[in-house]
Amino acid sequence: MTRTLHVAFASAIDVLLGSYLGTVVWCVVVPAVVLGPAAPPIMMNVWASVLGGVVGLCFSLVGASIGRSALEQRWPSGWQRNAVVHASWLLLVVTIAAGWIITRIDPLQLFSQQGLEGASRIFTALFTPETAIIGQAIGAMVETIYLAFMATVFAVPFSFLLSFFSARNLMRDTAIRRSVYVVVRFITNFSRSIEPLIWAIVFSVWVGIGPFAGMLALVVHTIASLTKQYAEQIEDVDHGPMEAIEATGARRVQVIWFSVVPQCVIPFLSFTIYRWDINVRMATVIGLVGGGGIGNMLIQYQGLAQWNEVGMIVIIIATVVWLMDVISARVREALK
Amino acid sequence: MTPLVTARDVSLVYPNGYQALYDVSFDVHPGEFLVVIGLSGSGKSTLMRTVNRLLEPTSGTITVDGVDVTHVAGEPLRQHRRNIGMIFQQFNLIKRHSVINNVLYGALGSMSTWQALSGNYSSDQRETAMRCLEIVGIADRAHHRADALSGGQQQRVAIARALMQQPKLLLADEPVASLDPATSHSVMRYLEVLNKEYGTTVVCNLHFLSLVRQYASRVIALKGGRKVFEGMPTDITEDWFKAIYGEDAVEVEIE
Repeated sequence: MTRTLHVAFASAIDVLLGSYLGTVVWCVVVPAVVLGPAAPPIMMNVWASVLGGVVGLCFSLVGASIGRSALEQRWPSGWQRNAVVHASWLLLVVTIAAGWIITRIDPLQLFSQQGLEGASRIFTALFTPETAIIGQAIGAMVETIYLAFMATVFAVPFSFLLSFFSARNLMRDTAIRRSVYVVVRFITNFSRSIEPLIWAIVFSVWVGIGPFAGMLALVVHTIASLTKQYAEQIEDVDHGPMEAIEATGARRVQVIWFSVVPQCVIPFLSFTIYRWDINVRMATVIGLVGGGGIGNMLIQYQGLAQWNEVGMIVIIIATVVWLMDVISARVREALK
Repeated sequence: MTPLVTARDVSLVYPNGYQALYDVSFDVHPGEFLVVIGLSGSGKSTLMRTVNRLLEPTSGTITVDGVDVTHVAGEPLRQHRRNIGMIFQQFNLIKRHSVINNVLYGALGSMSTWQALSGNYSSDQRETAMRCLEIVGIADRAHHRADALSGGQQQRVAIARALMQQPKLLLADEPVASLDPATSHSVMRYLEVLNKEYGTTVVCNLHFLSLVRQYASRVIALKGGRKVFEGMPTDITEDWFKAIYGEDAVEVEIE
């Protein structure tokens, strides 16, 4: 039964890879090579996908299966080995070629006359920052730092609680615990997969543009990220002390509080400081879409094409981010 | 005399399908120092954990003090564990916490969750904890961090933690396997004191036969999850030794 499933899964991988290869070659590579710059925008072609999938299935049936090689982590023997190796290389080369075409990579543009003029204009402006706005910019930066700090503070208690429910080693012994684990994991994974930038858009509509929206966006993302990091730390604890406390007849909560938590507080603190550091950086970007702080100020001057002011803001952001990075690294080192 | 522990036909299969125990039966009598010997992986640790029910036997029965505890759960299970102290090869102290707190954790089983989480120990409990540390001779280290102590001292703290439970039975899972020979004897002597002077029944897993001969009042041996020997320490002849540890085994002395 599992054997059949295994083979079916391997074949499914082969069909998908074949179909991918067919689609990319026919819809991306061929038009670009034949038509050059005149190629129309990329359009999917179902027949190319189907044909590719069929070819993939054929490979699978004769034993030259990439899926199976990957699942079993070993090459087939005989001529199938060569086929699998060549097909793998083809996949890699076609993917890079398609990537080159899709991202419209054009080194000439980077060094064209017009391009270089633009570059010199913006760099001159950036390196002659407008010092008149320095007070205002530092004020906005402070707003960003506090925004990131509050987001971290609000997220920590939630993450702390949730992490115990999403640590596999604490949640595997009964069916109820396993289901809670799956649900909590799903929610945190899902909300982490939504970028804070998108949360910021949501909250700027909800509570209005400003630092509060930015903070809320970071809280959601920070809860999800810290929960995962905390949970991984919990999964790493030494189980000996847990067993020892359990053997005294202690209740579940006591076992966790006295044997798991002491092993985790320092790493948790370290993750939290690092998360604040990351949040300061993210808060800057979030400001661009209405999350307040220095990012908000940056996007306004960028809109007005006032590059000297932009230069001032960039210098302040870079300095603060660098300082936070150094300080948080030192603190985390000292916590070890 | 009625046995303190009666194990009958205890088998245990782990969730991954590995069978660690096959129909093991034995008794533990009040006041004795029972030593369990056998190779690594012979099921000694598993057997011990079925007694205080850190593990649940797949079949068979375990009776402690006349109560069938084979499948108890919830409050009765905690009650059962509370009556049995346990020490471990790796000591399993909470490293970052003080010695005295580690001993107090032995009382967790008899405290409410809130009392315990708020660290609200009674003065009685604190006195008992100090007395337990005095018994194992390290009361002067009470306020050091547990991981500042040597291995032998840590194991004595672990013994004090078990004593805090005022146990009827003390389980010792290879208590000296990570200690040097001199320290091993010092730890074993404390177990002997508990056994002889305080009347605590001891079940102890050991590796070294010289320690077995010196401290055990009775011995059982496991091999491949089956009981292959039961008798007095002096009954372990050369032939039995080979039967338990395999033909190529050579006895190593620990002085």
